[in-house]
Amino acid sequence: MGFMYAAYSVVWIIIFGYMLLIGKRHNSLKKDIEFLKQLDK
Amino acid sequence: MLRAALTIAKKDIYSEIRTKQVLGTMIIFAGLVILVLSFAFDPANNTTKAVIPGAVWIIIVFSGILGLNRSLVSEQRNDTMHGLLVAPMDASSIYLGKFMANFSMILIVEIVAIPFLFLLFDFKMTGSILYFILVLFVGSFGFVAIGTFLAALASNSKSSEMLLPLLLFPMTSPVLIGVTQATKIILTNMEKLPNAIAWMQLVAAYDVIFFVLCFILIEYVLEV
Amino acid sequence: MSMNLERETAILPIEEVVQIKTSMLTKVLYAGMVVSMLAAFYFIFMYAEVEKTMGVVQKIFYMHVPSAWVAFLAFFVTFVFSILFLIKRKRIFDTYAYVSAEIGVVFTAIVLTTGPIWAKSSWNTWWAWEPRLTTTLILFFLFMAYLMVRQMDGVWDKKARLAAVFGIIGFADVPIVFFAIRWWQSKFHPIVFGDGPSQQGGGIAPSMLVALLVTIAAFTFLYAYLLHKGVSFENMKIKVGHFKEKLRERLEN
Repeated sequence: MGFMYAAYSVVWIIIFGYMLLIGKRHNSLKKDIEFLKQLDK
Repeated sequence: MLRAALTIAKKDIYSEIRTKQVLGTMIIFAGLVILVLSFAFDPANNTTKAVIPGAVWIIIVFSGILGLNRSLVSEQRNDTMHGLLVAPMDASSIYLGKFMANFSMILIVEIVAIPFLFLLFDFKMTGSILYFILVLFVGSFGFVAIGTFLAALASNSKSSEMLLPLLLFPMTSPVLIGVTQATKIILTNMEKLPNAIAWMQLVAAYDVIFFVLCFILIEYVLEV
Repeated sequence: MSMNLERETAILPIEEVVQIKTSMLTKVLYAGMVVSMLAAFYFIFMYAEVEKTMGVVQKIFYMHVPSAWVAFLAFFVTFVFSILFLIKRKRIFDTYAYVSAEIGVVFTAIVLTTGPIWAKSSWNTWWAWEPRLTTTLILFFLFMAYLMVRQMDGVWDKKARLAAVFGIIGFADVPIVFFAIRWWQSKFHPIVFGDGPSQQGGGIAPSMLVALLVTIAAFTFLYAYLLHKGVSFENMKIKVGHFKEKLRERLEN
């Protein structure tokens, strides 16, 4: 039984981990864009 | 096309005979792998006999990678690759030529290293030499075919020695599986010969499929 | 001179270049994904019956198999876009191939972690050299190799071209690997064509089949959503990169 919970939690940890990674990339790109906007001014 | 390929093969082999550098390195490396294997597995022990088929192919794979890598990376020096590409021949001839050169070199390494392995491990072959030679041939063919192709691909990177094994090992897993199974049967257990032949057919199919695929796709790899 | 410089930079407004907008497709995919996931969980836990021999642990199957399906789908998509890239040489094809490969790694990782958990719970061994699991392991290494090629040093079109070639031969390798391992392993378990781990005498209970199909649909929506987001993100990154280049050129002059 415990195995099933372990498996499901592993699956969703991996999926959410990946989404966090994407989120981090998004944030650093946004920071880049903000910086470039600053330069433009 | 064949003539162009033979010219390239001859050029590679002659430059190798001149320096004997790569072939020597491959053979010495094979010897060292055998040495390490004899430390890892006790040669005096009878059960080690089971390891021999796998050991044969480990040696071939690791020394093969050395040779394959150098055969393409050496063209990066002095930019001789551009010279080859500009010459009036297809990229496929370059692939064919390099394949032939690499294949001959790995065969030479096998001729030297495998008896050495059998010697060190005191392995008495209870099978047919003919089939053993056949399986070595078929397996090395596939390995060198895809290996030459991937070496050309990897030579574009600065860390090609690291990239080539990464690309080569997953791609050649069917060959390695088939060939170790067949070698095991041929060396120790000749009653199961039909199985060995089935395995060799699998590897032969792989050889054909990937030789043709690499032949076609090499022009995309060697684009200027 | 300085007046000239100011005017030039004003012509290149970054707001127009980079627009973070949510298109209709994104909303549709997101909605579809959420709905199908919720439906999948309902079907897995409420609708599908509990398996007789393995018990509740069998429910891992509903995460394991759809993930494997998505992993192979992702590699297939990489394969298709690799071919398209080699023929048409448009950057968008390479972007799709790359993002699909990245998502494929994620789902392959899921298969390779849920597989051993399931194997431990039902056969008491962490790894089984079972054809599909081993093929997935090799698939994992092929994905990794593809990503390594894609991350080489150099101009984007060389990397994209080489990666595309590898995507093609890599995908061609997968069926051969599968058959090789299947023959290798048939010494131990008799191979039933089209077998599945929850077979009860060669068939799958209808309620389980429904749950499985719903979950496969849910995971496919998840894949499509991640692919779409990933590709739009990569496109944005490429545009920002171009903008930086232009800015650098302006500054150098």
